[in-house]
Amino acid sequence: MNLEKIKNLNYLLIFLLILISFIGAAGLYSAADGSYQPWASKHLLRFYVFLLMAIVISLIDIKIIYKYSYALFGLSLLLLISVEIIGVLGKGATRWIRVFGFSIQPSELVKITIILALAKFYHDIKFENIKKTIYLFFPFLILSVPFGFVVIQPDLGTSLSILILGTFILFLVGIRLWKFILGLILSIVSIPIFLQSIKPYQRDRIISFLNPESDPLGKGYQLIQSKIALGSGGATGKGFLQGTQSYLEYLPEKQTDFIFTLIGEEFGFLGTIFIIFLFILLIGVCYFISIKCFHTYGRILALGVASNIFIYVFMNIAMVSGLMPVVGIPLPLISYGGSVMLSIMISIGLVLNVELNYNYKKLDNA
Amino acid sequence: MFYSDQKKQVKLLNRRTFFLFLIKLSLFSVVGWRLYNIQILDSSKYKTMSKKNQIDLEILFPIRGEIFDRNKVLIAKNDKVYDVYIIPENTKSINNTLNALSQFIDIDFVKRRKVIELSKKVKKFEKIKIFENIPWSTLEKIETNKYSLQGVFIAEDYLRVYPYKDNFSHLLGYISKPNQQELSLPFISKMPNLDIGKEGLEKSFNPILVGKAGQREIEVNSNGRIIREISKIDSIKGEEVSLSIDLRIQEYAINLLKSHRAGSINVLNIKNGEILCMASTPTYDPNKIIQKPNKEYWESILANTLSPLTNRSIQGLYSPGSTFKMIVAIAALKYGIINTDTTHSCSGKIEFGDRLYHCWKTNGHGKMNVTEAIKQSCDVFFYEISKKLGIDKIAEVAKDFGLGQSYGISMPNQKTGIVPNKKWKKEKMGESWYAGETLISAIGQGFVLTNPFQLAVMTSIIASNGKIIEPTIIKSSGVSFKTNDKYYEEIKIIKKAMYKVVNENKGTAFKSRLQSIKFAGKTGTSQVRRISLSERESDDFREKEQEWKNRDHALFVGYMPHDDPKYAISVIIEHGGSGASTAAPIAKQIFNYINELEA
Repeated sequence: MNLEKIKNLNYLLIFLLILISFIGAAGLYSAADGSYQPWASKHLLRFYVFLLMAIVISLIDIKIIYKYSYALFGLSLLLLISVEIIGVLGKGATRWIRVFGFSIQPSELVKITIILALAKFYHDIKFENIKKTIYLFFPFLILSVPFGFVVIQPDLGTSLSILILGTFILFLVGIRLWKFILGLILSIVSIPIFLQSIKPYQRDRIISFLNPESDPLGKGYQLIQSKIALGSGGATGKGFLQGTQSYLEYLPEKQTDFIFTLIGEEFGFLGTIFIIFLFILLIGVCYFISIKCFHTYGRILALGVASNIFIYVFMNIAMVSGLMPVVGIPLPLISYGGSVMLSIMISIGLVLNVELNYNYKKLDNA
Repeated sequence: MFYSDQKKQVKLLNRRTFFLFLIKLSLFSVVGWRLYNIQILDSSKYKTMSKKNQIDLEILFPIRGEIFDRNKVLIAKNDKVYDVYIIPENTKSINNTLNALSQFIDIDFVKRRKVIELSKKVKKFEKIKIFENIPWSTLEKIETNKYSLQGVFIAEDYLRVYPYKDNFSHLLGYISKPNQQELSLPFISKMPNLDIGKEGLEKSFNPILVGKAGQREIEVNSNGRIIREISKIDSIKGEEVSLSIDLRIQEYAINLLKSHRAGSINVLNIKNGEILCMASTPTYDPNKIIQKPNKEYWESILANTLSPLTNRSIQGLYSPGSTFKMIVAIAALKYGIINTDTTHSCSGKIEFGDRLYHCWKTNGHGKMNVTEAIKQSCDVFFYEISKKLGIDKIAEVAKDFGLGQSYGISMPNQKTGIVPNKKWKKEKMGESWYAGETLISAIGQGFVLTNPFQLAVMTSIIASNGKIIEPTIIKSSGVSFKTNDKYYEEIKIIKKAMYKVVNENKGTAFKSRLQSIKFAGKTGTSQVRRISLSERESDDFREKEQEWKNRDHALFVGYMPHDDPKYAISVIIEHGGSGASTAAPIAKQIFNYINELEA
């Protein structure tokens, strides 16, 4: 580990992280009726700890990470499987595992190791082999095994995001477009089978998404409330701490999945667009690092992380604005919750690492 | 080759990276556009929704507490009743539903029109009441045919029922919707539609009987439709009240009174102050007031010149007549005007000032001492002693015996009556007291006014040798009253005389004596109008059949048993003739009945 590298860290990226996390803390402060307790203070504390951890990760030699990519993937997969056995119950879905006294979601970590594994795989194979269908088998395995375990948890949101993440990475490395179209057709055909196999409450969510007014008492309720909160915010919002919807306890899980709604109510369209803008910048910086990087591993890694963050942000906002079913996806660095923040900061650490090691030609010290 | 592959790969990666970024940007633009739609274009719509999508408080009415008599017999209860509603949005056609419903219950044209018109005005999910308190047989029919009655909805409600109908009407009163003034009462604050007690004990025990409202926090959307229940606190039923009244005596008394047009009977337990009976006629059926429509019944009550709404026991004011003589005698004994040997001669009248004052016995009683004067109710004796006594001393004693005041018996609107003295007359009428007025007062006429219940309390105090009786309408547990020796000696003399009234020949109530148990008392006949001189001179003016409303009121007060008094009674029969002929026999029957109950 070379501490000299600290001065070469991408401080624009770190600044963006801080800014977004502080906006998150402000939202949580407001969600708690103008109090640091119980969310805002813990949110900031976690951020500081995890930022430190991200910087530590950025200083690890990328060759080590490259070397252990598959091992890390395997480890996270083991964790994911173990939640099936020892996981504690959370929100009707078994997703959590307790490590060192706090709950983490292995499904969040597995998304990062999927990126690592795919990056290593495509870094290693010859260019001419990328387009061969036979070489799709291993990436398919890397994606479908964790996907399968997340689906049976069941976690609709995370399984969907694994699917999209995989699609993005495979698109990036140059998989032919017709293969995606075929995959899409196959997916659509399998939807009825999928609907048959999922649990009733998940089916209800999708149905209520299609027609939220049909059941205002139940599943569509959150969505209607969310839209009212956003819409009543207008262009400039009701002002910090002035949101009425959230204070009346209309918004369930206002501190986690629906925090964006609260910010939208208090800061209006300007606030919501500003947050999207910050995330575009954040993703843009990752893209810049990806393009700058000499080795395929780093390129895929940075872009995979960018895609992962994009998927969180897009799905969360699409969800609370009624473009997507309510599937329980938080907004990175803004929603309350340690597990997502941990995985985001680990992946940001990896991106920082890529930038610090952008000029490697070879990653294996054979 | 390898080099060119690398180059190709970088080119491909760059190209795909660029596309990927474009895809993400366009997806972000989609959510951005979505947010623009919600927050800018449709903002005003959501702003109104946000204002109206509020939490409403629905008040859950408590069930009113029941009222029992002293033996745990329910005398005011709550019956479950069923109301029929229609919910417009649950039926395809209100007309069809009403047609189907009319097979089981008659819906007249007016009601039909009203329901249909209302259904157009109110929100489609709101209940419209069609019938209330439907009979059980109809309910059964509607329930069994539920599936052909789209949109019909049956809701439970509670109806206050008084099983003993008019026996307790004055005591209990009835319940109804609060008026503007009552809305500010503390126990009612959140329940403007709750029926509350309007009269009698239902009124005075409102704070206890009403109970506590529950509440349901519900969220309603901009249309007023209930979205969900947020929290619920159940209502708390009102407390039960057990009265001191004995249903059996009360019923018996009302029945006795019903053979007369109007009157009042009050029975007190002297030992603990419990009111066992407070009967007043004419009476009314509170059930008929509660059950709508009640217009006809109300009108019949208001048209009745005897005013059935008046609780004569505490709101009817009468001259006490000769029942007041005990007070005058006690005062005269107390202030040394007379002793037991003092006699006055009664010749049927005395002259005082420039006026003649008559005894009820035209030919006079002859020589009278205080005992005989009470026993035979000689007026002249009392004229004589009051001349020396003066009105102020009479008034003082009268107040000591509970007259001229109201009691803490939780009965609203007690009339205190009048115990006149010089000061009172000066203040009220701006005139000085005339000495002749003292003579009139001494036989319980003139300004003196009492209600029947006060007379029962007065009698209790006499019977208990002067104890300070505190009457109660609530079943009490072992109260005993302080002895008061202030009038002890005087009362002993008076009680002896009251015994003789009933149990000795020539006593005015001698005909009403009981063999089984000895009681004591005093008759009274209170004059309703001045008797003209010509009438007085015609020998038989009392015997003449007079018009009912001109007849005297008949009074009797008494206690039983004589040696250790436990029950005190007052009976008033309006225009009943004389106390001896009408009131004393009723008291006898009541005492006899109580005696049978105790046996």
